[in-house]
Amino acid sequence: MASYQESEHFAEDFREALEDLQVNNRYDIQNLTMIARENTEHALAIAQTLQNHIKRVASHKKLPSLYVLDSIIKNVGTPYTLFFGKRLFETYMDAYASVDMPTRRKMDEMLKTWKEPIPGSIDTRPVFPPDVTRPIENALIKARTSAMAAQQQHYRNEQQLLGRGRPMPQQPPVPYRNTPTPPNVRPSSQASGYPVNHSNGAGPFGPPPKAPSQYHQHQSVTMPTRSTPQPSASMPAFQPPYPGGYGMPQPGISVDALNNDIQQLIAASKAEFARSPHDPSIQTRLKALLDLQSILQTQNLPQDQLVLIKNRIAELAVTIRATPAQTPTPVPIAPAVAVAPPPSAPPAAPKVSIDSLLGSGALAALLARSSATPQVSTPQPPPATMAIRSPPPQRVELPKPAASAPSDALSLVEMLRKAGMIPPPTAGPSSGSTPAPNHMPPMPSLPFPLPRPVVSGPPTVENMTSDITFTASSLKQFRPHLVPLLFESLGTQCTQCGRRFKNDAEGKKKKTAHMDWHFKVNQRIAEADKAGQNRGWLVDEHDWVGTRETIDVIGGVPTAQAAATQGGSVAKLPKMQYIPVPDDPVLLNSVCPICQEKFKQVYLDEEWAWEDALEVGDRIYHASCHREATGGSSTVAAVKYGGGGRGTPEPVLGKRKAEVSVYHPSFLHMLPPKRIHTSLLFNSRNTDHVFLKQDDLTSLRAGKLKMEV
Amino acid sequence: MSIPGLGYIAPAPPPGSAAAAAALVETTTIKLEPFWEYRFEVPASTTLTVRLVSGTAEKDGTELAPNTPYVFTRLKSKINTWQTCELEITSPNPEGPTTPDQTSLVSYLNLHMKLEAARATVQRSIEAAGENNISAAGMGPRVLVCGPANTGKTTLVRTLTAWGVRMGSQPMVINTDPTHGMLSPPGTLSASVFATIMDITTEWGGTPSSGPTAIPVKLPLSYMYGLRTPEENPKLYRALVSRLAAATTSRLAEDPEVRKSGMVLDTGDLSLTNPAGYEALAHVVSEFSVNIVVALGSERITADLTRRFAGQKTTLGEEIVVVGLEKSGGAVERDASFMQGVTEAAIKEYFFGDVRRNLSPHTQSVPFDAVTIWKVVEDSTTASSDDDYYDPAASETSLEKVEPSLAMASCLLAVVYAHVHDDPDTIRDANVMGYVWVAGVDEAKRKLKLTAPVPTRLGDRPMVFGNYPEPVIGLTG
Repeated sequence: MASYQESEHFAEDFREALEDLQVNNRYDIQNLTMIARENTEHALAIAQTLQNHIKRVASHKKLPSLYVLDSIIKNVGTPYTLFFGKRLFETYMDAYASVDMPTRRKMDEMLKTWKEPIPGSIDTRPVFPPDVTRPIENALIKARTSAMAAQQQHYRNEQQLLGRGRPMPQQPPVPYRNTPTPPNVRPSSQASGYPVNHSNGAGPFGPPPKAPSQYHQHQSVTMPTRSTPQPSASMPAFQPPYPGGYGMPQPGISVDALNNDIQQLIAASKAEFARSPHDPSIQTRLKALLDLQSILQTQNLPQDQLVLIKNRIAELAVTIRATPAQTPTPVPIAPAVAVAPPPSAPPAAPKVSIDSLLGSGALAALLARSSATPQVSTPQPPPATMAIRSPPPQRVELPKPAASAPSDALSLVEMLRKAGMIPPPTAGPSSGSTPAPNHMPPMPSLPFPLPRPVVSGPPTVENMTSDITFTASSLKQFRPHLVPLLFESLGTQCTQCGRRFKNDAEGKKKKTAHMDWHFKVNQRIAEADKAGQNRGWLVDEHDWVGTRETIDVIGGVPTAQAAATQGGSVAKLPKMQYIPVPDDPVLLNSVCPICQEKFKQVYLDEEWAWEDALEVGDRIYHASCHREATGGSSTVAAVKYGGGGRGTPEPVLGKRKAEVSVYHPSFLHMLPPKRIHTSLLFNSRNTDHVFLKQDDLTSLRAGKLKMEV
Repeated sequence: MSIPGLGYIAPAPPPGSAAAAAALVETTTIKLEPFWEYRFEVPASTTLTVRLVSGTAEKDGTELAPNTPYVFTRLKSKINTWQTCELEITSPNPEGPTTPDQTSLVSYLNLHMKLEAARATVQRSIEAAGENNISAAGMGPRVLVCGPANTGKTTLVRTLTAWGVRMGSQPMVINTDPTHGMLSPPGTLSASVFATIMDITTEWGGTPSSGPTAIPVKLPLSYMYGLRTPEENPKLYRALVSRLAAATTSRLAEDPEVRKSGMVLDTGDLSLTNPAGYEALAHVVSEFSVNIVVALGSERITADLTRRFAGQKTTLGEEIVVVGLEKSGGAVERDASFMQGVTEAAIKEYFFGDVRRNLSPHTQSVPFDAVTIWKVVEDSTTASSDDDYYDPAASETSLEKVEPSLAMASCLLAVVYAHVHDDPDTIRDANVMGYVWVAGVDEAKRKLKLTAPVPTRLGDRPMVFGNYPEPVIGLTG
């Protein structure tokens, strides 16, 4: 056991490392997991630090921190399971209460994985024992039920305002809020997996100066939730801290109060600007605030728009106040602004765009500021949100969130658009008109954002995979651009076997030949069913080495030979060939090396001759056997069977007629490689595979045998 | 079906033929989101038919053809999609779990693409070197997959192979795990080049038969080991691995397509408590010049292997890379009885074919004196150090000549490419020509009843058998 002091030091280091974790960055999470793995002697300290951190950080940073917990649990396990388990309810519920809906959904998914065995582990026990996860589940179910009830209540009360806020089954019901609370306005955040979230737990409705007290109020509300696993009164914990009035339009927001707040912010921003005059983000913000002020002073905005403005101001207030002090107060981060419609002016007004309020530069700057140690503030690479394992389902559920993207958020945006608050944007709200540079536009079929392929040079496989290294972490990263290489880039599928053929001329040619092959094989299968079939012997080592695979066609159109053999009818074969009966007594007793049968003697043209025979070198074959074996090119006189090849079995395997199949289907492979090459592969035989030649032969032999038996 | 000498053969009941079974079969349609997979377990007694209605789906890397029924039996597997798909499942029990599994598949895909990149590089070097001088060019990646039991090793091997084939490669697949056979019964080590689409309804497809097949057949090269694990006779195992490596390497030296595509190697279950397994693995790695070792589902094994191969180079001078990946999500445990069933089914299929193709084996009576039978001896006491391996005298203990006896009833004998008078080492090193099954032993009459795949005289080649695969009693029903 490490000494207490040592652990404390270590915990301090770990805390600092945790604070660098801004977004759901896989590498960072992996690193932290690694640290935890390598320092199990400090497990208790690490667990405590992490849990405190999760509790303490701004709500948008809770998810990444929870993922660290998840990753440690799943990749390291004991003793962390034990330490985290103790306070898991508290940690989880506390975080759940303060995050937005998309994040909650992710937390739900994570919780689900905790109830299952670790993927990839032999251990079949769940990640956390049921007695740890069950209280959390119970509490969540309870909260959802009451939220649902409240929602129905709300339906009754607010009929006219009901947009599309229908609860999704299977999901934590989105409590309908027609007030534009920030979480609902950010559907893009879930598509990207980027934990964009605001301090809705910290009282977005409260006037900025009162924010701290608001926060406390919220805390006190949630306390009972945490203390008992049966939080009958916990429902408010999951809602913005307006126990009675959530979902209700804010009673009269005073323009003057807003003006005051803005004035204060402007003052604060000016001060900041004075401190760091070269920071463009402050400039942008200042300008936006000034514009906002002028809009407020010159125009009469409806209440709901005022609410929006107020929320933004509240958040900005927290930012401006919090960051210099480095307090752990929730720090809103910029992308939120992207979709949260600020009081962008009515058409005629000076252009206060979302970008100008917190432009791209601002985001980076803010991100940098909210990090405790500046050295990590190097602009994060586009967030590689794919966590080590935490939690797997999250990444595959894109369609769901996309479909169910809090519909009330959509309706809100719609509403605002109608009111002229939002200029019809280039992209829908869910496609994220996010200006932030490190914010990926959600990819339709991709569950999480990834670095763009760094392809230099032509798009060859080599170039496309140049960023992959043989490390587990690199290999785990999803590269969506690689998937099409196995599908679309290969062309369309053969309807029979699923093989793909390119759509270019060459591909089409291949496909024609391939379909031809299918046709022929199907025909042969139908024929072969009639004749008996059997398993063939395998070829010997030497011939196996000499075998060359042939796929599809080399020649193109089937030759007459092929067509004839394919029919399987001897009658279609070319004219019978004869040779005079040899004088050599050895040859006289020879059998055809291919089929092991004797030759049929006929009296022809005044002398005895062997029917269907062909002399090749010093051996005599059945002409038909030879033709079949050589694919019709019986002129290849140099071919010798059974001869030279080392290890080629001697044709000694008996005299039974049926033993022809001893050499089927593979005797062709007994040919020395070069010969296969020349005589078989390039002879325009339209076969898909060299073995299929055997089929010709077999069906022929089968037919022949039948006649002879 | 009655076959002379075999009596009644119980053919596998064709799917859905029984009226009772047909009544219970139901059809459902399931929809898979991107990265989801449908997992199914089909017992031997039933079948499961899958039809791809829309979208794209693959099983172990091989794409399903649209609207084509695939019939599975005696299989625990999964069908996954990268995009989306709709599957129509017909089975007595079609409700399989559908689950997301991304992490493992993504890493496998990346690995594959990396292999393809390496293949492309070699392809260029082969083109530069010229067809006749390909040994001067580089060699495609040689990937070995290892890990503990039930981590999806074979599945990954199959997936990498299928993806390679899809993209036009002709990878050489090598099975160094005698527990399972590849295109060959269990108890053997085998290799085959995969150049054409794989048969997804079976593990690897069948061995060549006389008839045509809708899916191009693959030609394996196999060697009889006759024992279940490498530890049971390390010397024999090593000798056969070396032999297999020599043959496959020669093929790679001559065949440009295969050379470019490299090798994918499957291995037996690795366990931390069994150092002999590591020794066997290290031997495979060095013999096949493996340059990428993929350790599935165990960080400990990954670490061990990383340490073991650190700084080592292949014969081609490449670094040996060890990478640990997650086991494939759907990997399930297959118990001994299931595996025994699979083994028996494989052997039955070898002689009699399957529902798609009926094969007619041939049974004959052979006098004891007409056959030469060798038995593989267990010799686990042999130290597994390299010194022993090079001792030529030691190898004599691998095979012993045995007289036919009742003990070999129902056993599978491998007929090997050697002559009956060859010395044991030659017989040991000879590759398998085919298998015969001992249908009966009559010690009084000194006659053996042997079932061979083809009618042929059996006395000309030596036959080898061992304790594994276990005797298959059920072959004749």
